[in-house]
Amino acid sequence: MQARSEEELVEELKREHPELLHDAIVHRSKRVSVIAKRERVLELARILRDQYGFTQPVSAGAVDYIKEGRMQMIYYLMNPETRFMLMLRVDLPRDDPRMPSMTEIWEAMNFHEREAWEMFGINFEGHPNLTHLLLPPDWRGGYPLRKDFRGEGITP
Amino acid sequence: MTEPEIKPEVMRISWGPQHPMSGQTRILIDVDGEVVRRIIADIGFTHRGIEKILENRTFIQGIVPIERMVMADTANIALGYVQAVEEALGIEVPERAKWIRSLICEMGRINSHLYAFGLQVECTGYFPAVFLWTTVDREVLLDLFEKLTGARWSYSFFIPGGVRADLPEGFRDEVRRAVEYLRRRFQDYWDAMVENPLFEMRNRGVGVLSREDAIRLGATGPVLRGSGVDMDVRKDEPYAAYGDLDFKVITEREGDCFARLKVRFHEIEQSLNIMEQIADEIPGGPVRTKVPLFPRSKPGVEALSRVETARGELGVHIFTDGGLKPYRVKINSPTLRNMYVFERLAELNRVLVADLPVILYSIDPWYLDCDR
Repeated sequence: MQARSEEELVEELKREHPELLHDAIVHRSKRVSVIAKRERVLELARILRDQYGFTQPVSAGAVDYIKEGRMQMIYYLMNPETRFMLMLRVDLPRDDPRMPSMTEIWEAMNFHEREAWEMFGINFEGHPNLTHLLLPPDWRGGYPLRKDFRGEGITP
Repeated sequence: MTEPEIKPEVMRISWGPQHPMSGQTRILIDVDGEVVRRIIADIGFTHRGIEKILENRTFIQGIVPIERMVMADTANIALGYVQAVEEALGIEVPERAKWIRSLICEMGRINSHLYAFGLQVECTGYFPAVFLWTTVDREVLLDLFEKLTGARWSYSFFIPGGVRADLPEGFRDEVRRAVEYLRRRFQDYWDAMVENPLFEMRNRGVGVLSREDAIRLGATGPVLRGSGVDMDVRKDEPYAAYGDLDFKVITEREGDCFARLKVRFHEIEQSLNIMEQIADEIPGGPVRTKVPLFPRSKPGVEALSRVETARGELGVHIFTDGGLKPYRVKINSPTLRNMYVFERLAELNRVLVADLPVILYSIDPWYLDCDR
């Protein structure tokens, strides 16, 4: 069930799994985005890995849209056959940013989720080791990459 | 990082961040006698918040901080950012500028691979002279950088819309001479090191990473290609002038430290070929288009640019909000991905304490890139 072009991939995802995703977009050649529903993102991730060949985890990170009151977690995935970059996006409300951990599907998201946890305060349920990665272990200064972060008064 | 528990028969050794061979990171190793049971990478000692800094710089000012990620390979890192800015702002680049970019990127790649090669030889312990050779030989490239950009390191030469200056008079001949000299030197390296049975024994069969594991664990760059996966952004998504250039993607099947070293070695040869091709075939024309000093972005645009740096794929994802500065810049760094592979290697293989430095330097870590 390997889709050939970007458009075919997006159409097929929308047709086969409308209950798992909000939308799927082609940005340009070899760049595809899928906006997943938060509750069912694990199911969608498993389908993307097993049926669509997105077996290689690249990275993950978040964006804080403070005016809209949401954060978006983005997983960057690669299909080693077609060399498509797929961005699996999950919208999270800013006052309750939690979602299931993807380490169950892509083990190597471990580091990236730890980074998103300490930088944005996103809670990954089921992560095996949610501890500080880049910041010091006793960091209490808040979430540095959030837009309302102010660095004043923090001593390392 | 909070340290996990250990069993009583296991001893935990903290290696670094002050150890000469660990680099600026701490690596916890659980040893049972001579055998390493577990590796835990405690990174973050050089975290500078580059992603946050970039949110507070205009698009062109951002080139300077992002270059500091990898000093040996600034050209490739800066190109990732500059291309993302160009895509987000819709800036065209003249053909000649693209060729000059490719030339500098390949020179940077050789510079970085030389350093990696020297260090990997250094940590086998027998051959301290080789690191000095590679340090001397990169002078040839640094002199070329100086002639072209005015600086030997971190030259900030790429700007949105092209490059800062055209090639100076006689530069193409100097590139050809440098290529010829380096080819001769690489033959010496090959004879002295790669075909040296003592060196081979320390590297062959050490830190083996299979093809499946390399993909599953998200390895990139020479680590991935050393395990037999022919992924290279220069071929997969040709940027700059790579679509017009003739080069091969180097892979090795074995997936051990020796394979990764050979991948780097052959990649240097390919880079030398590319440099020669560019010196011969570079098209004429302007080297930059006019871009305002403070370009304003459109709201809600995002651009993800991917480039192949010496350590692997770098992704720069820029989000804009209509201001003079990026709203958010996400950097997908190659070393962070390879460090995770390094952590898992002790579970996939029998790793001995004496082999740890060789394995660590076979993934060519650059902690400033890892921590950003």
